[in-house]
Amino acid sequence: MASEAVRGDQPYDERVVVELVPVLRRVVGARIKDPHTVEDLVQETLARLMSSSRRVDPDKLHQYAAVTARHVVATYAERNDRARNRSHLLADPSDAPPPTEDLLLQEDREFVAAALERLSAEDRDLLVAHEVQGQDTTTMAAELGSTPGAVAARLSRARASLRVEYLLAAEAIDPPSDRCRPVLRALSSSDRRRQRELDASGHLLECETCSQLADRLFERRGQPAEDGVVRVPVSRDADVVTARQQGREVAARAGFSTSAQTLVATAISEISRNIVKFADRGEVAISLVTEDGRQGVRVVARDVGPGIADPDVALRDGYSTYHGLGLGLPGAKRLMDRFHLSSVPGEGTTVTMEKWLT
Amino acid sequence: MPTDVPTAPHVPLPASILSQGPNLIVSIHAALDDEQLERLQRDLLERVGRDRCRGILIDVAALDVLDSFAARTLADLAYMAQLRGARTVVVGIAPDVAMTLVRLGVRIPLTQTALDLEEGLEWLGT
Repeated sequence: MASEAVRGDQPYDERVVVELVPVLRRVVGARIKDPHTVEDLVQETLARLMSSSRRVDPDKLHQYAAVTARHVVATYAERNDRARNRSHLLADPSDAPPPTEDLLLQEDREFVAAALERLSAEDRDLLVAHEVQGQDTTTMAAELGSTPGAVAARLSRARASLRVEYLLAAEAIDPPSDRCRPVLRALSSSDRRRQRELDASGHLLECETCSQLADRLFERRGQPAEDGVVRVPVSRDADVVTARQQGREVAARAGFSTSAQTLVATAISEISRNIVKFADRGEVAISLVTEDGRQGVRVVARDVGPGIADPDVALRDGYSTYHGLGLGLPGAKRLMDRFHLSSVPGEGTTVTMEKWLT
Repeated sequence: MPTDVPTAPHVPLPASILSQGPNLIVSIHAALDDEQLERLQRDLLERVGRDRCRGILIDVAALDVLDSFAARTLADLAYMAQLRGARTVVVGIAPDVAMTLVRLGVRIPLTQTALDLEEGLEWLGT
């Protein structure tokens, strides 16, 4: 018997299962006529038993095998029946494309056409030549009197713009301001320099439409907005704590000592409190930076609040508008290595500060 | 009439206030935001009257950041408690935190401080 065939700590092995073959043949043979099919199904049952035999009580293995075999036969029969029932149909309806597909495809074409329409003529021609007519960048470069690298870069920018325009067309959104398009294109092409020039993150803070679209853009491409930048939205007291904890973490990653981490966290606490007190909302962006081989932490706190009329006064010790100590801004400045405050009354305030590893 | 009416329907403060003899022992377990600090200040002032306590010990060892607002709130609390006849001692300021407070420019006489719980209790005279 099976239980005598094996000894030791491994209750099952292939031999046990193989001993079941005659039993299985009997079970399957009783239901299926064709001997080849019987053999196929016995093998299929064996394969299933091998993968699960360890989980089965040795004494119950025979019953388990018989039940498995019956299931395999039933599945086979069901498959066969369905094939027979549908054999008079030319095409299996389950494989047919859903009726909406055509419509979606057509809609998609319209979006792409609308998006292409919004691109500049050169960008459009480049994309069509490369993506539709299949010209390679070397040929295109020769025609344009440029280099393949430059053509590839222009193609990549054109694709980025196309992504933005496609999204705008598909969502039927008309960007609310003149700045939206350039900012979205810069974000889509991950062009950091252009993003800085346009003050992209500042625009995202102000423009609800763009901040949502930006999320969609990056979701499509499956990558975060910027690598290594921790952004904390700040509007409530509790956000101040979150911002300074995030700041400490980034500083720790940069290799700062715990006391330097405390300086950074405290400075963030001071400036993000100003956002909560004076502006409706803002954000603190914390990033790792390197300069001349030195590692540092940069904190950019910006808000869309009333702004500061006289930054020099605000940076003076003891100047307080809410009965505080008046140490917020000047204190943060003392804690960090670099500190810059810019403010436009009526638009908002940006504090940029850095701390460097010594 | 119940005296222990919760002052605000907020989340509980991450701090515990124990009444021990004539003193209140306050230990803060996690970072407090500004609103929570102000709530702690209010709660303590109220407890001073209710428990007729003579001393407050605040253990801030769990705080990794004491910024100008927190320092001011603690200092104000000490002064307010004094007006109500209780002395306050803050214990457990971490070295990094102390350094940062000085760099920040918090030069106001914060309040009475002590190294740790033991020293603090000794100062309160238990």
